[in-house]
Amino acid sequence: MNKILSVLLLACLAIVSGCGKSEPGSSSNAGGSKITIALMPKSKGNAYFISCKKGADKAAKELGVDLVFDGPTDPDPAKQNEIIENWITLGVNAIAVACENREGISTALRKAKAKGIKIITYDADAMTDARDFFVNQATPEGIGFALMDEAARLCGNEGEFAIITASLTAANMIEWQKYIEARRADKYPNMKMVALRPCDDLKDKAQSEATALLSANANLKCIMAICSPAVPGAAEAVKQAGKTGKVKVLGLGLPNENKRYVHDGVTDSVILWNTEDLGYLTIFAANALAKGSLKAGNKTIKAGTLGEFQIEGDSILLGKPFTFNKDNIDKFDF
Amino acid sequence: MNTDKHRFKTAILRHETILLCVVILEWIYFNSVGLRFGSLDNTFDIMRHSVEIGLLALAMTPIILTAGIDLSVGSLLGLCAILFGKFWRDAHMPIPLAAACTIGIGALAGGLNAVLITWLRLPPLIVTLGTFSLFRGLAEAITRGVDTFTNFPASFLFLGQERWLGIPAQVPIFVAAAIGIWLLVHRTTFGRSFRAIGFAPEGTRYAGIPVERRLAMAYVLAGIVAAVAAIIYTSRLGQAKADAGTGYELFAITAVVLGGTSIFGGVGTVHGTLLGVAAIAVLNNGLVHARQPREVAGMLTGLLLILALTSSTIPKMLASLRERRQTPVTKPITT
Repeated sequence: MNKILSVLLLACLAIVSGCGKSEPGSSSNAGGSKITIALMPKSKGNAYFISCKKGADKAAKELGVDLVFDGPTDPDPAKQNEIIENWITLGVNAIAVACENREGISTALRKAKAKGIKIITYDADAMTDARDFFVNQATPEGIGFALMDEAARLCGNEGEFAIITASLTAANMIEWQKYIEARRADKYPNMKMVALRPCDDLKDKAQSEATALLSANANLKCIMAICSPAVPGAAEAVKQAGKTGKVKVLGLGLPNENKRYVHDGVTDSVILWNTEDLGYLTIFAANALAKGSLKAGNKTIKAGTLGEFQIEGDSILLGKPFTFNKDNIDKFDF
Repeated sequence: MNTDKHRFKTAILRHETILLCVVILEWIYFNSVGLRFGSLDNTFDIMRHSVEIGLLALAMTPIILTAGIDLSVGSLLGLCAILFGKFWRDAHMPIPLAAACTIGIGALAGGLNAVLITWLRLPPLIVTLGTFSLFRGLAEAITRGVDTFTNFPASFLFLGQERWLGIPAQVPIFVAAAIGIWLLVHRTTFGRSFRAIGFAPEGTRYAGIPVERRLAMAYVLAGIVAAVAAIIYTSRLGQAKADAGTGYELFAITAVVLGGTSIFGGVGTVHGTLLGVAAIAVLNNGLVHARQPREVAGMLTGLLLILALTSSTIPKMLASLRERRQTPVTKPITT
């Protein structure tokens, strides 16, 4: 019995050690002169962040920096903190993180900052005192203006449109609507918003709301869905009503869940930001920060092949949202 | 009987010795590939990160020894964390009082498990599966899933984040709990009855031991320990949210079983559990330093666990195989 036990456990150890040896020299960089940047997603399996990583890998290659990518694989909110603390001990030069828990992770980030590690947040910010810069993927103004511009383009600058939102009270939705309306009043006075309906962030409800909108408004030219489940929901309603092409659908959403409708010609545009560019810019910012070329007060930052980006206070702006349409949507997988 | 017992004892000893070797070899290996793995800072990191799961595993040991299980400890950690936050922020209690009330809640919650298991004679797996959802659901209902407690005073955050006499401040609490539970399980007749219950509950009852009361005690203890873990967790993260401790019950059970405690009860030690916690914690941390992806840690933990489990059943299987080989000899005679 004892023999079996020891053999089994030794076999296990052999596997443990074998795993580490498969990548020789991988540990020699942390202490060297090469800059090490650690990048953390909210969760590791999320396709959105895998897409960010694609851009980050490209940036790391161009810059010749060492990129460590790790993040939680389970929904434990303490994991992000633990990984940050491991990175502090590991001695990385810069940490870029998409925060799951704003307050919680700030504790660990402040500790890292105190040890001289440069901190960048992207996608979701931490407390402002816990990081150096935030790479802001989209401002409410950028989103609102892009949605209205695209809707006007699809409608030929005139006609009725309706908005499906998540809820009438959600702060970010209200903010976006404010900018949509400002843009409409300023640039497209012939466009008219006839309805604003909440869908509670549910695809089914969005679909029934869209169906009701279609039957109540005969002149409706366009449905704008500003929460992600509403985009496929509205598209399904338009498709089932047989109004494909007559009523345009656009919205703020993820490429994967809209691909089908985009290829069917139901949905014309899905607006979001380019996640690969987000990852790319994040790594360039982290590198510049670690090298000392990016400092508080800078107004711009150069990021390789993407050119120059604006900095507003301590947030680096990714710039205009990205429009996914029939031509480019298949290049993205998230 | 006596020799059987003796052999069993040495086997247990072997299990723990081997586990100790595993921990040491893990250490040596990661120290050779990771530049800062062996540093004092990192050693403290490992300790800091394993205190909460370690506490839950310690409390889980007596329960599994009685052939029971408590799936609710992770959820209870979450509930206690947000209640602690509520006591402090909304009821304006000073931190020590809020902590005391939280521990009281933990005891009550453990008591609920205990009552259902001992009075109603329901299986622990079902009861704690119920309270697993109940406690997490309560935590989510109270905070509506979004309310987060934060901005705790620095004096409280000291417990989870700073050092006291050179070591992480929460480690002394863990050491005290480990010593306490070790003494309880291994040095008191009270604690020895846990193993007796796991071996043969009816026999233990005939021996005059109040089985129900002992069982109840184990679950209440787990509730109290989960509350303590919740306070340390809140202090380490600086926030309390309804999702605190998600999945911790499984990590704790893994550590206990890896430590050589039989899931069928009766067999196991507290120091084995501690080694189980250490083996997993060192592996998790070491892989980061070896620049290996985190998923490998889960895979290797699973592998370690399966090996630990099979290593105790394979000898039994071999024994029964040997018996079966003998039966054909007797069979032709009877037919």
